[in-house]
Amino acid sequence: MAQINMLDITKRFGDLEVISSTTLEINDGEFAVFVGPSGCGKSTLLRLLAGLDELTSGEIRLNNQRIDHLAPAKRGLAMVFQSYALYPHMSVYQNMSYSLKVAKEPKNVIDEKVKRAADILQLGEYLDRKPKELSGGQRQRVAIGRAIVREPKVFLFDEPLSNLDAKLRVQMRIELTKLHKALKTTMIYVTHDQVEAMTMADKIVVINEGRIEQVGAPLELYKKPKNKFVAGFIGSPAMNFFSGKVNKVSSTGIHFILENSDTLLFKKCQKPEVSVGENIQFGVRPEHFIFMKNQTQTINGKVYAVERLGGETYIYLNSKTDNDIIVHCSGDREIKVGENLDVGFSIKDCHLFTSNGWAIDK
Amino acid sequence: MHITDRDYQRAKIFRKLKKFLWLSFLLFPPALILITFIFLPMASALWYSVYEWNGLIRGEFIGLDNFRKVLLDPERNWFFFNALKNNILVFVSLMVIQNGTALIIALFLAREPKGARIYQVVFFLPVILSTVIIGFQWKMFLNPVFGLVNKLLNTIGLNEWALPWLGLPETALPTMILVNAWAWVGFPAIVFLAAIHRIPRDLIEAARLDGGSEWQIAKDIIWPLMAPAVTIIVVLTFIGSFNWFELPYIMAGLEGSPAYSTDMLGLLFYRTAFGSISAGGTEFGVGSALAVIIFLLIFLFSIIATKILTAREVEMG
Amino acid sequence: MSGIEKTNTVRLENALIQIFLATAALFMLYPIFMMVLSGFKTTPEIFMSPFSFPERLNTENFQVIWNKTDVPRYFLNSVIVTLSSIILLLVTGTMAAYAIARYKFRGTLMVSLFFLSGLMLPIRLAIIPLFIQLKYLGLIDNLLGLIFIYTAMSLPATVFILTGFLRSLPKELEDSARMDGASELRIMIDIMVPLISPALVIAGIYSAVPIWNDFFFPLIFIQSPEWKTLAQGLTSFFGEYSINYGVLYAGLSLASLPMILIFIIQSRRFIAGMTAGALK
Repeated sequence: MAQINMLDITKRFGDLEVISSTTLEINDGEFAVFVGPSGCGKSTLLRLLAGLDELTSGEIRLNNQRIDHLAPAKRGLAMVFQSYALYPHMSVYQNMSYSLKVAKEPKNVIDEKVKRAADILQLGEYLDRKPKELSGGQRQRVAIGRAIVREPKVFLFDEPLSNLDAKLRVQMRIELTKLHKALKTTMIYVTHDQVEAMTMADKIVVINEGRIEQVGAPLELYKKPKNKFVAGFIGSPAMNFFSGKVNKVSSTGIHFILENSDTLLFKKCQKPEVSVGENIQFGVRPEHFIFMKNQTQTINGKVYAVERLGGETYIYLNSKTDNDIIVHCSGDREIKVGENLDVGFSIKDCHLFTSNGWAIDK
Repeated sequence: MHITDRDYQRAKIFRKLKKFLWLSFLLFPPALILITFIFLPMASALWYSVYEWNGLIRGEFIGLDNFRKVLLDPERNWFFFNALKNNILVFVSLMVIQNGTALIIALFLAREPKGARIYQVVFFLPVILSTVIIGFQWKMFLNPVFGLVNKLLNTIGLNEWALPWLGLPETALPTMILVNAWAWVGFPAIVFLAAIHRIPRDLIEAARLDGGSEWQIAKDIIWPLMAPAVTIIVVLTFIGSFNWFELPYIMAGLEGSPAYSTDMLGLLFYRTAFGSISAGGTEFGVGSALAVIIFLLIFLFSIIATKILTAREVEMG
Repeated sequence: MSGIEKTNTVRLENALIQIFLATAALFMLYPIFMMVLSGFKTTPEIFMSPFSFPERLNTENFQVIWNKTDVPRYFLNSVIVTLSSIILLLVTGTMAAYAIARYKFRGTLMVSLFFLSGLMLPIRLAIIPLFIQLKYLGLIDNLLGLIFIYTAMSLPATVFILTGFLRSLPKELEDSARMDGASELRIMIDIMVPLISPALVIAGIYSAVPIWNDFFFPLIFIQSPEWKTLAQGLTSFFGEYSINYGVLYAGLSLASLPMILIFIIQSRRFIAGMTAGALK
């Protein structure tokens, strides 16, 4: 059983507050991903969990027992570092067995545990090699193996795939997910790549400037982002945003007009807490634009760039609105730069946000 | 088990204490050695110089009296200024002969001729030998009758040149300077070479393509960009010249014979502090004052030279 | 100037450079060579035919030195002093450098300045108080006194060199070792120090040469013949055998041997080490 609770965590470096009053629960066996832009504090949060940095205030609990006063090695956690942090002068075997050696475990126990971890990760033939003789992917597996050997209650991963090339990254994503299913241990994973978050997580924690923006399953964050930040962060390419003004509020929804447009749009809302004349933000994902003719709601724009990936195509439009529009469509659609395009969308797939960025209830 | 806030605070304090103890453990032994054997003596040297000494026993406070004795007392100050003159002579000569040759060697080696690596090793070889060995070796070579130098000169017919090199006041110091240059030329040569290697290839090649001669390239590009190394060598040569002790001691003796022509501040200091046949007993007070004066000379020069020469240094990269 | 002419000029330049360098190299080596060569001659031989090769490789002089003089004893003393100083130096130097390089604490700057300032202080000039102090500690005429002085003298440069190298090690190595449960001491010994072993060699060489060659401190602090170091012992040796040139040259050759051997084997490290201080 390994449940992590972070209660009201704050971390300050001098005068700079990098983590503000954060509370979070991670359940036993979950694969939780901390995701956010660079500098948002996700790695700091992980390091606080690991014990490599000290809390300014708050509590960390493992299975409801406080652990934030314990040394890193005594917390029952193991960490895989971004640069793997393998000891260069030691062999793979020595790297993996170091923690056990420090704990003065008998040789046969060490041997058994290392061999077992090596088998899981297919490192058997590399045990005598030194890190510099291994490829990036192999080194990463050694780093994971080192963590497995410690039989921790929770695994911590600090952007482990960032140093790998794109192809290897895809491969390792699947490997890690398989590993999680095999070991069934709680895993906390930090990354800035929302693709990794979406594909691997049971639960995603979106962090921005030291605060948690939203916690939830991947699809939940995709379909129901609580604020503009999460909406724009999850999903690639990012959601398109337009400004609008509230025209009329009724008991069923909101009537609003997009800037630089005459079209009156209506969105169903249960408890709209906006007033007439208020500015709002309107978001449509690139993949939610429709090309069928005679759509009621459309946006017009002039194509200035087309990116063809073969299986899909991205179209970039200049429109009368402030922002450029990115549209995602299938690979065989014929589009030329300079063309004038009307793209349609369904209100169902769109998101409304107040000017402060909070989602207006569906 | 419920951890109270107090337990938590205690754990935190304990951790801080552990860190403090660990750092103290790391820093204490080296700091102790440094303080006991360097800082304390240096501070004491300053302290001793303002007291009167009777052998090993400290007497009264006499202010700058010891300094006066060294610099102004007519019986003594001849020795001081003579030695000072010699040290300056050594410095200037070494700058020209030793470091000048070193520069040429470095420039040549920078062109990577065949065997450059071997040349580096060969030139550096005398640097690693003890000054005592070199002093004795050359003393024997320079022996007027049995030494190799004069024998060689005789063999090639330059009999008039077969002088008692170390025995004549006019030749003793120049001879020692040449010996020092022979022994130490490798050091500045390697330092200069390393500095030249640091200059980006492109600069030199661009100059060559522009049609510059080797001399021009050396003067306009290499020399300015070597400035940091030059600064270091100038300062080190000065310090070395003013610290000259072993070489004159071995080759000419404690009194700077003949006729004090090879007397150095270092020798004078030793005589004053520890006594000698001619100077009489130990004079710790005066010796300390002399030491402080020498230290100030070196210190002031180092600072001034560094300031002046650093202004020349060009930031690269 | 046409291409071919230019090449010829360059070729001429290179040839001249080679001549210059070769001559200079010869000039460097010849005296040392003669010194060693003469060690194999008898003294009359030296006087009569100084430049020719010895009639036979006469090891008599060396035997005299080995059996009849105190030179072996001086040699041993030098070895003891130099080795002990280097060991003490590297251990304490690493400790100080580690504290400065790997930890942030109030006064990091002060401490590193403290150690660095030692670089600028010419310890020789404080010889008088040093003498009195050693007398007080009972370390006069004692190899231990020399060891401490040499260690103290070499600490600033050593700490300087080692701090640079230790700083360059990534912090993640430390973090990983902490997660593995290693104590700070273990991290230092198992992980960090092994990774800077080249720096230790460089610092060791940089300090060992001046210590081995030093003459000044033994001259002042060592009086009994049985504790004299090699550089110092040579002076009394010379006093004793003043005209026996064969034995004298042999003595000088023997005294030079260790340094020359190590130098030839490790020349690149050696040069790097000795100029490390100057080049920073």
